[in-house]
Amino acid sequence: MNNIKKISILGGGQAAVYAASEIRKHDTNSIITIFSEENYLPYERPPLSKDFLMNKKKDEELLFFSKDFFLDQHINYVNNKITKVNFDRKIIISNNNIEYSYDKLLIATGSTNRKLKINDKIDSEILYLRNLDDANKIKNKISKVNKIAIIGGGFIGLEIASSLSQQNKSINIIEISNQLMGRIIPSQIANIVKAEHEKNGTKLFINTKIKDIQKKDQNFNILLEDNNLIEAEIIIGGIGSLPSVDLFNNTDLKIENGILTDEFCQTSIKDVYAAGDVSNFYHSLYKKNIRLESYQHAQNHGIIAGKNIAGIKTEYNSIPWMWSDQFNLNLQLTGLCENYDNIIKRGDNIESGIIYFFMKNEKINGACGLGLMGKIGRDIRIASKLIEKNIFVDKNILVDQNQKLNVLIKNKFAN
Amino acid sequence: MNNTEWIEVGKTDSIEIEDLIRFDHADKTFCIYRIEDGYFATDGICSHEAVHLEDGLVIDGEIECPMHQGIFDIKSGKAISPPACEDLKTYPIKVENDLIYINIS
Repeated sequence: MNNIKKISILGGGQAAVYAASEIRKHDTNSIITIFSEENYLPYERPPLSKDFLMNKKKDEELLFFSKDFFLDQHINYVNNKITKVNFDRKIIISNNNIEYSYDKLLIATGSTNRKLKINDKIDSEILYLRNLDDANKIKNKISKVNKIAIIGGGFIGLEIASSLSQQNKSINIIEISNQLMGRIIPSQIANIVKAEHEKNGTKLFINTKIKDIQKKDQNFNILLEDNNLIEAEIIIGGIGSLPSVDLFNNTDLKIENGILTDEFCQTSIKDVYAAGDVSNFYHSLYKKNIRLESYQHAQNHGIIAGKNIAGIKTEYNSIPWMWSDQFNLNLQLTGLCENYDNIIKRGDNIESGIIYFFMKNEKINGACGLGLMGKIGRDIRIASKLIEKNIFVDKNILVDQNQKLNVLIKNKFAN
Repeated sequence: MNNTEWIEVGKTDSIEIEDLIRFDHADKTFCIYRIEDGYFATDGICSHEAVHLEDGLVIDGEIECPMHQGIFDIKSGKAISPPACEDLKTYPIKVENDLIYINIS
């Protein structure tokens, strides 16, 4: 790598910054530039719905790396919106018409919130949480109001509900499906989480559709299909995300529920890579493409993209893992909780944790657990390792909380 | 507290190999590890977010945080995998007559 190359990274989130950092570890010559619409250095998003909203963390505490890191590592950070990409000419173009050429491009544009379509008057007034500006806007608004409606009972809606409930706000959650947090979460776990929200005074409307929303003076009247009426001073939507691919709609880049990439983060176009939420990547263990939206994935996928861009061919085969914190409960998921032929339950109270293992042919496919802060982390981590090693597991040990799961990895790895 | 003050943690067989226990002393929390190479001690709270490492996984001489999977080297306290980036403080340990002692001065 004697000639100086330009490596450009589209997007300024976690995948982008960890890719940049990884490239620099192996390549001291190339010019590395991150292009971000956001006027902040890359920051952690999980606290936005939790500690940041509860005023326990300030924005400067969210940065992945300090300003000095970017200076020391010679990683450029350009705060500019990119509006066009020309893959043939290998250039990206900003909204003020500056052309930036690249030799290698990493797309790490993340995902965008799905928006509710209620009616024209209301839609623009619904708040969403994606970035630091959104979080500041919500924080500013909630300081002046008490009645909050949250549409969508997924992770983000529930985390916001938990944070606002702890600030004594009156909260209503409306969820269209028949269970919180989607179908992959075991119903018993979803029910414990629901009970915790109810214990803290939140009202939940599950399996409920919205008929209409009207604004009267400064208040919203939310009419439900069962004719219940909810009043709210602000409405927050949390109904999922979509990969941020608009920029590439009229290009040759192959897109199918995100940018299609192989196990080396390579897209359908030479010298163009994608990582994080935006990519629908091939997972060699599952032998299919998957798209993930999580902290761990953004980071690890970014690191692997960085290695591949730096010329160190490395397969991405990380086992999916995510968490959600609500009140004093910590929920974790690993692997894929699908295609199972048996479910094994470990533990029966949140004090020591409850975990469901989704089994296929005596091996763990996925696991989902809930417990007081940190209590299920070790066993979920062991489950990840067992999935990764693809080994048979003795279910008698899994069900018995008196037996440590450490033995499963110790025994098998010794051979 | 002087430099030679050793505090008793417990019996050596109170920790299994490749495992840890939590030890609280004077409003501070520590983790005491037993790995193949012997006994070691670090701060008991993750340097990334305030979570007890006692619930983490000890494997291959490393401790993984139970909340966000930050990884630290047990012997040096060095943060070796993000999101952990700040090292854990380590403390001397000695073993005498089947008892573990920590020096936190």
